[in-house]
Amino acid sequence: MKFIHTLQDSILKHSNLNAFFINEKYYTYGELSQKINIIRGLIQMEIPASEKYVGLITNDDLETYAGIIALWFEGKAYVPINPIYPKTRNKEILEQTNSTFVLDSSSLPYFETGFETLDTRNVQNVLEKLHLEPKSPNKDDSAYVIFTSGSTGIPKGAPISYKNLNGFATAIDNNLDFSITSSDRFLQMFELTFDMSVVSLLAPLLKGACVYTVSKESMKYFQIIKLLSEHQLTVLIMVPSIIHFLRPYFKEINSASVRYSCFAGGKLYGDIGKEWNACIPNAQIINYYGPTETTIYCGGYLFDKNGGNKQENGVVSIGKPFDNTYYLVIDEDENELAQGQTGELCIAGEQLFNGYIQNEERNKQVFFEKEYNGKPMVFYKSGDLCYKDQDGDYLYVGRSDFQVKIRGFRVELGEIEYHVKKVLDKVDIVVIDIPDKTGDIELGLAVCSKKMDLEPVLSYLKEALPAYMIPTQFLFVDQLPHSVNDKIDMKALRSLF
Amino acid sequence: MEKETIMADLRGIFIETLGHESFELNDDTSAKDVDGWDSVTHMMLINEIEEKYDIKFSLVELMGLENISDLIKIILEKKN
Repeated sequence: MKFIHTLQDSILKHSNLNAFFINEKYYTYGELSQKINIIRGLIQMEIPASEKYVGLITNDDLETYAGIIALWFEGKAYVPINPIYPKTRNKEILEQTNSTFVLDSSSLPYFETGFETLDTRNVQNVLEKLHLEPKSPNKDDSAYVIFTSGSTGIPKGAPISYKNLNGFATAIDNNLDFSITSSDRFLQMFELTFDMSVVSLLAPLLKGACVYTVSKESMKYFQIIKLLSEHQLTVLIMVPSIIHFLRPYFKEINSASVRYSCFAGGKLYGDIGKEWNACIPNAQIINYYGPTETTIYCGGYLFDKNGGNKQENGVVSIGKPFDNTYYLVIDEDENELAQGQTGELCIAGEQLFNGYIQNEERNKQVFFEKEYNGKPMVFYKSGDLCYKDQDGDYLYVGRSDFQVKIRGFRVELGEIEYHVKKVLDKVDIVVIDIPDKTGDIELGLAVCSKKMDLEPVLSYLKEALPAYMIPTQFLFVDQLPHSVNDKIDMKALRSLF
Repeated sequence: MEKETIMADLRGIFIETLGHESFELNDDTSAKDVDGWDSVTHMMLINEIEEKYDIKFSLVELMGLENISDLIKIILEKKN
């Protein structure tokens, strides 16, 4: 696997350069390498070769990042477990992947029972050799698994293979003039349970650049600006909601150091993109696009700071697929649509995953085979509605289902409804997305009932779901508004909040 | 303007914005001590405070906020 060897070479070659800046402290590639070796020793001693998936508690420290690379060099997959999420959900995730071992750098182990915790913080080096060669993983083995919201109430696990990730690592170099050197300084603002964290650490480490992490405490967007101004960051990979939060303060931001400002995981609007570009005058903004299932992102659009960007309803174009990826826009019967016609965007190519874990039903729904350029290819239905323009650029129109994005996190409204109904089983309820003033989304819960105490519902939801999935607005109605064809009229309902 | 008055005002704003009363506000209180005080509600709280006192926080001021006493200090500086 090429990227694994490139990563190893980069770590050895840049041993005197800084690899990470975490919690006000620098760590060199040499220190990272040492830590990786120590954790590899631990893995080799404790984890049988047959164990392919290993849980990883996502702390903001060198041990956790080194743990990811150690697992990759051992040909295994990490399953990120965020300690701020409910424990029942985290257990479910590890059970779905059949993980029995967990790498944990916490001072007290996160799991008291049920899993074998390997402490990566207090561990001695057991390997005699430094600079252990990476093992060669099978191309279809997983490198990591990301769990996303599932409408049946159970999170869906999307495993990304070494082949997928290798395709991604090659593609970001070969597309959209994204060219990184060892003097770059990257922002890493993502929870490791979100796949944009993978590019935020892999892209810099492959080139000997330094990763500046945002800690879990306090307000992310202020920390980003603090890191940006104190350390003259050069590459920012963010979700668009960050700049919506910062918008009132744009006139106070002026960072000439930024070379690339990459967006993905949400709609980038042209007007705010232009205002943001004025804060980072030397930067090229890139609007990347792609679902988790096609490995972080699989295409993008170069934003022109002078304006004239292609837009649909104010949303900047998602551009073209990477050179290893194919797009197809289809109608409801899976027929290809002509240029200019809106339909569901389907994606094929090297970055496409092999299917959800233990979820054959869902896999049957999302994959289909179609001939493309005379060859049969497997396509994935993204659920995103798009059309292609005359230059081959794609424009994003909306979602075809009840999935929404909250600060970059994909949320199936059905999953929240499933859990609400566990408490409120006698009344009709609907969970709905409501745009707020900042352009972000809030979740509303409409209950068909007289006003009642929702505290039992909310305390149950806090046990079952991450905080971003818990409704913040509430409405009691006698009847839900219906459209003529008896579907719930979401637009009318939204206006009642 | 008195510090105690501001503390009481802030409590009102927090209850209104966060939708619950199960928290205590004192000098050392920070986001991690209050249920629901996260990055989204933080901006809502800041907006409410700005409207209440007819002031504007700068980015530098907001970046330096660690706890309630920092917040009150800035409000006092701006109002007195």
